[in-house]
Amino acid sequence: MDVVLEYSDVEKFIRELLNDYDVIAPVEKDNRYIFDQIDDPSKIVCQYDTTLLPPVKWIYPNNEVLLRFKLSDFTETKAVNARRNQVLVFVHPCDINAINIMDEILAEEPADTNYLARRRSTIIIGYDCACPCRENILCFDKGYHNADKGFDLYFTDLGNRFFVNTATDAGRAIVEKSTVFNKAGYSDKTDLMKIKWERETTFKKKVHGDINRLSHVLKDAYDDGIWEIEGKKCLSCGACNIVCPTCYCFDVVDEMCPDMEMGLRYRKWDGCQLHDFCKVASGETFREKAAGRVRHRVLKKEVYLKKRFGRSGCVGCGRCIEHCIADISIIDIFNHVMERTGGHGEL
Amino acid sequence: MESSNLLPRSATIVDIRQLTDKEKLFTVRINNGGGFQYRPCQFVIFSMFGIGEAPISISSAPLDSGETIELCIRSAGNLTGAIHKLSLNDRIGIRGPFGNGFPLERIDGKDILIVAGGLGLAPLRSLINYIIHHRWKYGKVTILIGAKQPKDILFKEEILRWENDSSVETYIAVDIAETSWTRHVGVITGLFKYVDVDPLNTIAAVVGPPVMYRFVVAELLAKGIFEGNIFMSFERRMRCGIGKCGHCQINGIYLCQNGPVLSYRDARKLQEAL
Repeated sequence: MDVVLEYSDVEKFIRELLNDYDVIAPVEKDNRYIFDQIDDPSKIVCQYDTTLLPPVKWIYPNNEVLLRFKLSDFTETKAVNARRNQVLVFVHPCDINAINIMDEILAEEPADTNYLARRRSTIIIGYDCACPCRENILCFDKGYHNADKGFDLYFTDLGNRFFVNTATDAGRAIVEKSTVFNKAGYSDKTDLMKIKWERETTFKKKVHGDINRLSHVLKDAYDDGIWEIEGKKCLSCGACNIVCPTCYCFDVVDEMCPDMEMGLRYRKWDGCQLHDFCKVASGETFREKAAGRVRHRVLKKEVYLKKRFGRSGCVGCGRCIEHCIADISIIDIFNHVMERTGGHGEL
Repeated sequence: MESSNLLPRSATIVDIRQLTDKEKLFTVRINNGGGFQYRPCQFVIFSMFGIGEAPISISSAPLDSGETIELCIRSAGNLTGAIHKLSLNDRIGIRGPFGNGFPLERIDGKDILIVAGGLGLAPLRSLINYIIHHRWKYGKVTILIGAKQPKDILFKEEILRWENDSSVETYIAVDIAETSWTRHVGVITGLFKYVDVDPLNTIAAVVGPPVMYRFVVAELLAKGIFEGNIFMSFERRMRCGIGKCGHCQINGIYLCQNGPVLSYRDARKLQEAL
């Protein structure tokens, strides 16, 4: 079912959502954008570039409680799978694709029940980008500038109204309950096609050569000098991990209440770029050099995840490039290895 | 109740033995009648609420109903330091068993060569006792054990028993020793001169500190043992045991899922493994 929503009705629609859900939406913060919980629909920004943190972090939050326990009584130890009746509003295709990838990784048995509990209780409303949001992005190279699943509703800006595609039963239920949508007609669909068609021509490829060969090229470039060069620049701060919408590594931490009787076990985001990420009790660190850690991050997205799931684990959002204070760019790394080999990785 | 793959089962400490200055052997009973099915070289995640969790290999052999397991733990950090302060009847948490374990189905009728360096004997003790218990199933069994000093040797009484057991050949090396030490002095690879195996029919099991693997594998290959018949167990940091937290990843594999036991043929293809 396809419907349209007038610009003037957007705030009313969000207010309807606020009756039933926690609404998480892009808002402005310090001249940039973040996904944040809102109670005032006028705060929402439709036209935004990439947010500082990806919206998936609302499904995979930092410091998520895994267990609560009582030291004197083991039977009081309980798993916590927090649900959150939330709707993520105006999520870009790259971030929708990232959530799809996270779903696949974390639902694989043995599953991450905490993620799944939040994911099941999350509604996603997609928002089509009309054009590339920034310079250093490679969503188009990877085909992740389009999302074909992973959303309940999908908004496309038609210039004076939104075309809204309802993709799931949950999305349909929202539209049916609402009073603000109108059925899409012939002219709405024509405008949608036109916008989609024009949109395709605004994106440009960033990686030279055949992107389908990238994972093979990278595998062959395991001993390439690029890793040493980038490793020398890398400050091992882990910012690229934290902002990545498909980074999911975590550490587990216990915290006691002051009564030293009750406590919580929770998880914190961790990052493979940090020096001690692979440190074991004997003191050995298995990825000792930054060069090896930079290589691991790139290969994990492009080679290891691709081998497991059949598609790249990097959606090309460009956050890791933007947030790297050492100016390490995966686009540059990709282009270096593609050019070095003439893009002819062994298939 | 909410389910979670990260929720430990209740367990009770039923025996504690001091093995060396740094290592203790804990016998742990899994509560609520939960029989524990496991293989040699699998591991559990040991949980102390308020302090944390760590992966610990299982040292006992799966020979009984699995109501108790034995865990050999070195005091090395916060958690293991706290574990060493535990007393009898203390409650702890156990998750697992995790990992693939040793491929027992591949070794029937084979000669077995076991190489245990330092704490590597903790998981291999499970395999050794399993093999001795089913001794008729296997050909020649040779055990090589290495330690820094005589006082660091784990499971001393058991090793004496293996030495006196005519059905297995046991050799011990220590790096440093007093003159009263009558066995081999030197690194573990020095023991290979005593080893006489049929390379076409031998399975090797190797566990030890990371630095040991390269040298031991070279000896095994020099004996003519096939790459696919050399099995090694790897140590990495682990948090979850369910292939998610990322710490145990070696190139494309998660050691807690696809390991900790890898054949040398497979490990050789992982640049980060050796």
